[in-house]
Amino acid sequence: MSGAKLVQGNEACVRGALAAGCNFYAGYPITPSSEIAELMVRFLPDAGGVFVQMEDEIASLATVIGASLAGSRAMTATSGPGFSLMQEHIGFATMAEVPCVVVNVMRGGPSTGLPTSPSQGDVMQARWGTHGDHPSIVLAPSSVGEVFNLTVKAFNLAERFRTPVTLIYDEIIGHTRESVVFPDSVDVISRPRPNGDPSTFLPKAAPPDGVPPMPAFGDGYRFHVTGLTHDERGFPTTDPGQAGALITRIHDKVTNHQEEITEIETLMLDDAEIAIFAYGIVGRSAHEAVLRAREAGIRVGMIRPLTLWPFPYHQVGEVAAQVDTLLVAEMNLGQLIGEVERAAAGRSEIVGHLRADGEPITPTDLVAAISGAGAVRT
Amino acid sequence: MDRSEYRIAGAGGQGVVTAGRILAEAAILSGAEAIHNQVYGPQSRGGASRSDVVIATERIGYPLAEEIDLLVALSGEACSRYHPELADRSRLVVDSRCVPTDLRTSDRPYPIVDTARSVSGGQLVSGVVALGVLQALTGVVEAATLCRAVADRVPTRHCEMNLEALEAGMRLVAGDER
Repeated sequence: MSGAKLVQGNEACVRGALAAGCNFYAGYPITPSSEIAELMVRFLPDAGGVFVQMEDEIASLATVIGASLAGSRAMTATSGPGFSLMQEHIGFATMAEVPCVVVNVMRGGPSTGLPTSPSQGDVMQARWGTHGDHPSIVLAPSSVGEVFNLTVKAFNLAERFRTPVTLIYDEIIGHTRESVVFPDSVDVISRPRPNGDPSTFLPKAAPPDGVPPMPAFGDGYRFHVTGLTHDERGFPTTDPGQAGALITRIHDKVTNHQEEITEIETLMLDDAEIAIFAYGIVGRSAHEAVLRAREAGIRVGMIRPLTLWPFPYHQVGEVAAQVDTLLVAEMNLGQLIGEVERAAAGRSEIVGHLRADGEPITPTDLVAAISGAGAVRT
Repeated sequence: MDRSEYRIAGAGGQGVVTAGRILAEAAILSGAEAIHNQVYGPQSRGGASRSDVVIATERIGYPLAEEIDLLVALSGEACSRYHPELADRSRLVVDSRCVPTDLRTSDRPYPIVDTARSVSGGQLVSGVVALGVLQALTGVVEAATLCRAVADRVPTRHCEMNLEALEAGMRLVAGDER
């Protein structure tokens, strides 16, 4: 492969962020995400950006939000313990509609857990970690090359929909080095900006797509930023009509554009009787397991969401309607399996292959599980 | 698909992670596909450390080692942890200071850490000496390509010492064969 380089997952995240125009990073290093901070401090100043080492993860995301309000394309990166601390500000960014990218390189938890071991234990926290009704966009790469692509996508979705976007992957993907070739350039989407008369500007008045144009502080538009429920002027309100309209709009701007957000990989589903549902690093195991089981004559396929949230209920439901068994493999004690059950709605048997001991699920494990599922079925 | 897997395991500070990275980079320089994975403990110094390298002729699906072709164990702890996992066809290279009692005929002890000490005065280049041994035993990458990968990876001021360590590793095998 010409031009191929051996690149670590966390480095691919930094390369993707820089390609996507990231020009602000605030963070507090934590294993297994620390290489992102280390490489950002090396590369961001030369790219004209700003790196700030913060005192903790709460301040990290607060600073990222401030930078974004001032017009920057801003991100931070962390792991489970830091992700917990960031939840308050993820909610604030959602409510105030401030674009930002949060990377969570998952390690074993809860608490400080297994700092250097992989896990997929934060995928429900990425959906529901912050309080209140809110939408979430969460992307889950399964290779170093995909870390690059989905980091770019995370920035573009954050800007497009004025919302925080979480990129989530485990320690193995963060630390694995693979041969990859990066593209020379990527498509970059920027937040919608206002162009009307500043004196009549309504900062939270949304066009039909639900995403209000967003000025940067200093552009000449006056606007108020609050985590309180607010009206189109951006000022707090307790009016039920206004409150309901705001919460509905921040949901709808995401759920009404799911086709722009959702990405799924499928493999050999056409005649499958069993489908593996897997994401992130386990998607790599599932892919290999499908190839091996097919060689043994087992009719098995795979569905792998690259977008975990909004959850692809429709696509998973279609697979459930077609197969007899959905084997859900994840490195936790059962998180997305609940969503798969909702999507399947009784149309297929759901079997979990779950592991939460800091070790990966291997193709060998999954081939055995597939054989077991087949044996139970017949 | 032609796929082979290598594990270099030892203690923190033996250059195990760097060695694995160099092997993977040499494979890519040769036009192959390669993946490097590291496993280490939460301690900042000491503790167990491990590098796995998967080399293949085509795009690599599952990125982790599943059946190691060659294990290089640089510490007693690494040897006792990973040696029992080896398949019958797999080979062990073990540092002479920590040879297990159940050594098989295909297994090879070499004074890797002592060689590193004599080249550099410390353990840090043990991983690179191990790479020399690995290259001479398997030929998975050309010696010249491995030299280039070492020179590309290590700090310039330590390049000469690392190349010396690499060649010393290769000579351990050559001496063994005579």
